[in-house]
Amino acid sequence: MKAPQNGRGSNDVSHGCENRRLSGRLLAKSVPYAKASDGMTVVSARPSEWVRPVTSKEPASAIIEIDRVSQVFQTSARRDHVALSDISLTIEERAFVSILGPSGCGKSTLLYIVGGFVTPTSGAAKMKGQAITGPGPDRGPVFQEFALFPWKTVLGNVMYGPRQQGVRATEAEAQSLALIEMVGLKGYENFYPKELSGGMKQRVALARTLAYHPEVLLMDEPFGALDAHTRTRLQNDLLNIWERDRKTVLFVTHSVDEAVFLSDKVVMMSKSPGRIREVIDIDLPRPRRRSELLLDPRYQKYVVDIERMFDESDEAGIAS
Amino acid sequence: MSRLLSANVLLGIAPIALIIALWQGLVSFGFAPAVLLPPPGFVFGRLLQQLATWTFQQEIAATLIRLFAGFAIAVVLGVSIGIAAAASPAINAVVRPIVRVLAPLPKVALYPALLLLLGFGHGSKVTLVAADALFPILLSTYYGASTVEQKLIWSAMAAGTPRTQILFRVVLPAAMPSILTGCRIGLVISCIVVFLAEMITSTDGLGHALVTAARTFQAVDMFVPLITISLLGLILNALLGALRSYLLRGFPEA
Repeated sequence: MKAPQNGRGSNDVSHGCENRRLSGRLLAKSVPYAKASDGMTVVSARPSEWVRPVTSKEPASAIIEIDRVSQVFQTSARRDHVALSDISLTIEERAFVSILGPSGCGKSTLLYIVGGFVTPTSGAAKMKGQAITGPGPDRGPVFQEFALFPWKTVLGNVMYGPRQQGVRATEAEAQSLALIEMVGLKGYENFYPKELSGGMKQRVALARTLAYHPEVLLMDEPFGALDAHTRTRLQNDLLNIWERDRKTVLFVTHSVDEAVFLSDKVVMMSKSPGRIREVIDIDLPRPRRRSELLLDPRYQKYVVDIERMFDESDEAGIAS
Repeated sequence: MSRLLSANVLLGIAPIALIIALWQGLVSFGFAPAVLLPPPGFVFGRLLQQLATWTFQQEIAATLIRLFAGFAIAVVLGVSIGIAAAASPAINAVVRPIVRVLAPLPKVALYPALLLLLGFGHGSKVTLVAADALFPILLSTYYGASTVEQKLIWSAMAAGTPRTQILFRVVLPAAMPSILTGCRIGLVISCIVVFLAEMITSTDGLGHALVTAARTFQAVDMFVPLITISLLGLILNALLGALRSYLLRGFPEA
């Protein structure tokens, strides 16, 4: 077991040197979390949660390592825009990690670097010790824009991955039908994406990605384009699916509620340049039920404290 | 839905009926002599009569062969060059200047040279049709292929599609709406150009039939090929439209 007296003990986050003072200040601020998580592990009776690390055959090991990654874009005015500055982050296997930050902080870019879609200007990202050089079926993306193939039906979209992996057509179809049923779209197999609502499209996109069994799900504000009601339903369904087979999830969002509700760990980013401000362990019991969690003072405290931290940095930004 | 459709069909037929009525009016009220401008009923009667004859069928066949051959060459070349230019900056650098030079050129100006090189038969006409229909297809393919949503490509690559296959599995199907729009323009141009080429110099085909009739003052026979080519254009366009709505059945804009 990792040292439980500090909620951030398991995070291998190294900030830039010039950031030392700031992170020191934040460290002091985040002490209440350490206390809260301490209290919880002792007080709350969660035998299943508590026992898990002991019974599992292998200890939680790093699956993704981001090592001093920076990303610089050229703006139209030929100026360098630093989207990401010296980011280091380790993500453990089977963890649900959210990257939370204001728009323009480079959180999606970080996800694309892990996906292999974007090559960082400097630094490197590794998946299971191997440097990431391009996209691969071990890392499955789900985009805010759904990005479904409009010329394929729901079934055709979901079958695409398995077929590309060389799975036989009949087998791929059977697997895909099961997945479509799992995401709650039984009966819509032969619909085209244009005939579905936004929430249904995102369910198809999730099924399409799950179909080729990626070890890591990379979710880029997946529920950002949906209305509030559909959003909460999809969050619940995602949690149910995730709690069943516990893939590693890297989840980009700008919603504090969403990040706290879903994650084991929230990575807070600040913008211009994009940096990791803080990594917070969300020590809330699983399986999480929305109705219980919203009433849980610990959940509420996480949300309020994270929002306060963002507000403070905004004010600091205005003052400077 | 079907009521709406039939209402639209009626609205679409109205201007055509108006033109035919105007035509009939011009003859009936003596603005044009019937010998030079035969009444529409007469022309359509002659058309039906001609359609049954072997010689006229052969004229149609000659025109259609040239039209299809030229159009098919334009589609194959236009789509492959357009996709290649969108996929590779190097190919784009080669193709872009020559397209800019050749696209605005009136291709009919090449026809005398083509006649000398390829003779009076199919070759010269097919080449001219292909040259004229090529550019709208090429340009719209290039446009469609270079504006494919990045995340479609990423999704396919993450699912295990190698870079070399992305072109066929994602770019080509995603660019299909633009490609078919280009084809539609290319088809109309093909109809015009094949007729024009046959009018200028040919030994057969609908354009040739029109010129021959005009030179011998057979006004009725002059209008028959004209009506025939517009009917052919209408039918071909409808066929392409049906193909389009089948191929694009999943796309929101179709």
